Amino acid sequence: MQEDFPYDATPNLLSHLRADQYPVTRSKVSWKDRVLRFGDASTEKRWHGVLASLAIVGLITILGFRIETIIRSSNFAVLYMLAVIFSALRWGRRPAILCAVTGALSFTFFFVPPYRSFAVTDIWYLITLIGLLTVGLVISMLTVAAREDAKLARRREAHTAALYSFTESLASGNKFDQILDSVARHFPEVFRRPIVVLLSDAERVTVRFRSAELVFDECENEIASWVFENGEEAGCGTKTFSDSVIRYRPLKTGQGIVGVMGFQATSSKELLPPDQRELLGIFMNQTALAITRADLAQKAKRAEVLQEADKLQKALLNSVSHNLRTPLASVLGVLNTILEDRALLDAPTQESLLKTAQDEARRLDWLVQNLLDMTRLEGGAVRVKTEPCDVHDVVGAALHQLGEAAQSHPIAVTIAPDLPLVPMDNVLIVQVLVNVLDNALKYSPGDVPIDVEARLESGQLGIRVLDRGRGIPEQELERVFEKFFRGALPGAPKGAGLGLSICKGFVEAHNGRILAKRRAGGGTEFAFFLPMEAKRE
Amino acid sequence: MSDLGPRVLIVDDEAGIRRFLRASLEAHRYLIHEAVTGEDALQVVPAFRPDLILLDLGLPGVGGKQVTSCLREWTQTPIIILSVQGDESAKIEALDAGADDYLTKPFGQGELLARIRAALRRVGQQDSGPVFVTGDLTVDLTGRAVRLGDEEVQLTPTEYSLLKAFVVHANKLLTHRQLVREVWGGAHYEDAQHLLRVNISNLRRKLETDPTRPHYIITEPGVGYRLRTEPRVSAAPSNA
Repeated sequence: MQEDFPYDATPNLLSHLRADQYPVTRSKVSWKDRVLRFGDASTEKRWHGVLASLAIVGLITILGFRIETIIRSSNFAVLYMLAVIFSALRWGRRPAILCAVTGALSFTFFFVPPYRSFAVTDIWYLITLIGLLTVGLVISMLTVAAREDAKLARRREAHTAALYSFTESLASGNKFDQILDSVARHFPEVFRRPIVVLLSDAERVTVRFRSAELVFDECENEIASWVFENGEEAGCGTKTFSDSVIRYRPLKTGQGIVGVMGFQATSSKELLPPDQRELLGIFMNQTALAITRADLAQKAKRAEVLQEADKLQKALLNSVSHNLRTPLASVLGVLNTILEDRALLDAPTQESLLKTAQDEARRLDWLVQNLLDMTRLEGGAVRVKTEPCDVHDVVGAALHQLGEAAQSHPIAVTIAPDLPLVPMDNVLIVQVLVNVLDNALKYSPGDVPIDVEARLESGQLGIRVLDRGRGIPEQELERVFEKFFRGALPGAPKGAGLGLSICKGFVEAHNGRILAKRRAGGGTEFAFFLPMEAKRE
Repeated sequence: MSDLGPRVLIVDDEAGIRRFLRASLEAHRYLIHEAVTGEDALQVVPAFRPDLILLDLGLPGVGGKQVTSCLREWTQTPIIILSVQGDESAKIEALDAGADDYLTKPFGQGELLARIRAALRRVGQQDSGPVFVTGDLTVDLTGRAVRLGDEEVQLTPTEYSLLKAFVVHANKLLTHRQLVREVWGGAHYEDAQHLLRVNISNLRRKLETDPTRPHYIITEPGVGYRLRTEPRVSAAPSNA
């Protein structure tokens, strides 16, 4: 048999559960409890009770002498009985018994003839005396039983409150850190000792939380590892590694051992009472379950990420196979036709065929560029190299890059005259503008102008591209920035659905944000905002 | 094909690219020599004496940047860098080392020929006299006078030295670092960068009709600026 858990000198659980934290406990304290509470059994209080009981018996005796002439002395037995009841309620069993015995003796000695003697001659006095003793004893026993019951109930209530508070705190989070935080707050408070928590980490246990006052060295680590491997308690108070001051218990669930908890004993003499041991068991079970839950949640999250990556890969493959092969097919087709049937084709036909091939090849290049950008973004390889940039310059460079398309379509640029230089990565933001403008150009009919506006908006640079295209349905506004998203409307221009998601990636790499809105009066408004302070690397 | 046109050395390890470049350039009466590696190129240049070098940036072994700096030790033959998108920093290094211009693959024949012509013209133009004229812009380097059409343009001394750097290297792509060195001398590059952008912006405001669609001072995003002297290059953009 293992010895009991050493427990230190605070047996009363309630005394350290703050009333404001457990309002349930406080509101249920009845008058009875309040009276009974005086009886809490500490050594000091017990002596106090004994002395007070003797004092009361003395007082009644003196009072008896005073009123002996008015009241018949045989009635004094009732007064002594009252004293016994009071003493039992207030100080518990022993003072009550003492009170009953001394009361009976005093009554016999002083008020039962023959006076100043313990001899009892009158049979009625004898009956009174026996009644006094019996009532005293019975009352004291009943009182004590009630008191113990109340005490137990109070403790249970406190346990329940502590457990409730702990499980509630555990349930509030699914992450390891949150669980460790709950454990770190509740265990030392309820069990009043420094703790250490070790969780399994790839076949080993590592310390995840340690009370500041607990010393944990290499040797202790070895004990914890032993507990983790064997699933048995060890350390202080057990047969294994008993010279440690820490008692280790495994955190077990149905699936196995998830970790180890250590409790440092402050005094090895006092033991954890059985009900607290039970509570500790429940606490540890809850902890183990919560840790298992967190572990599962983490695994689920990981699986989700994998699944997401898988989905992306599939979409990428689909997109690549379709969007790369279509233009490639027309390029190859044109080249084959010209190589084989040159003699049959007149010059204008050849020219138009070659023009088609050129356009398609360009589209292919654009797509490859987007795929590369996307890969760089996904791989976290995009480095933002901010330098103060002139917005005129950025817009100009974007228009220049768009070339023919931007030349033939009216684009009205409005840049606030007082706009300062803005820190940004010139290349990336030019790319963002090119993609957004390209999008606007694709969806804008013939000669309806596209507006580009840039100004300071609440401490940020805001750049807006507004078109009068057919607009984006309300429910798709958010989704246009998703990878491979293509509008549901039929007859949309070809594309892989990468351009805008790259924009989002680039803008967010600047700590900025990008959004799409329906423009009043028809069309779409794309706006992105960049902070005026350079992003810190 | 005898010594009819300018001599161009093509340095690229991709046979396909070399073949395409040779075909397009020979059709325009350039005399071509090919080199496959950087080492090859360094050996061939003294013998072949090219008028211009097309240099791929992604060469195996001795890279484009090293070839540029080796050549710049003894010759000012114009070098045009051929790069792919994503090579940004390597490209800037090569330009800082003395390359004249760059083209991003894939590029069209029209753009290639335009860049070659501009680079060759710059070599011939070096003693073209103290007065520079392009479009409406006239810069008199002796009188320190700048006119736009008939109107005199007032420039601050810094703006003028910036414009002068552009005029002296007309059509050449100047990196930020080169411009800072040219205008502010030994100033700290990071500090001067800000000044550079402010001055470019001011210069454009004074010279360009629409600063967002500049006609003279063209931005090469992330690389630098160039002063454009001929009417707009007709080739469609290659990578937009």
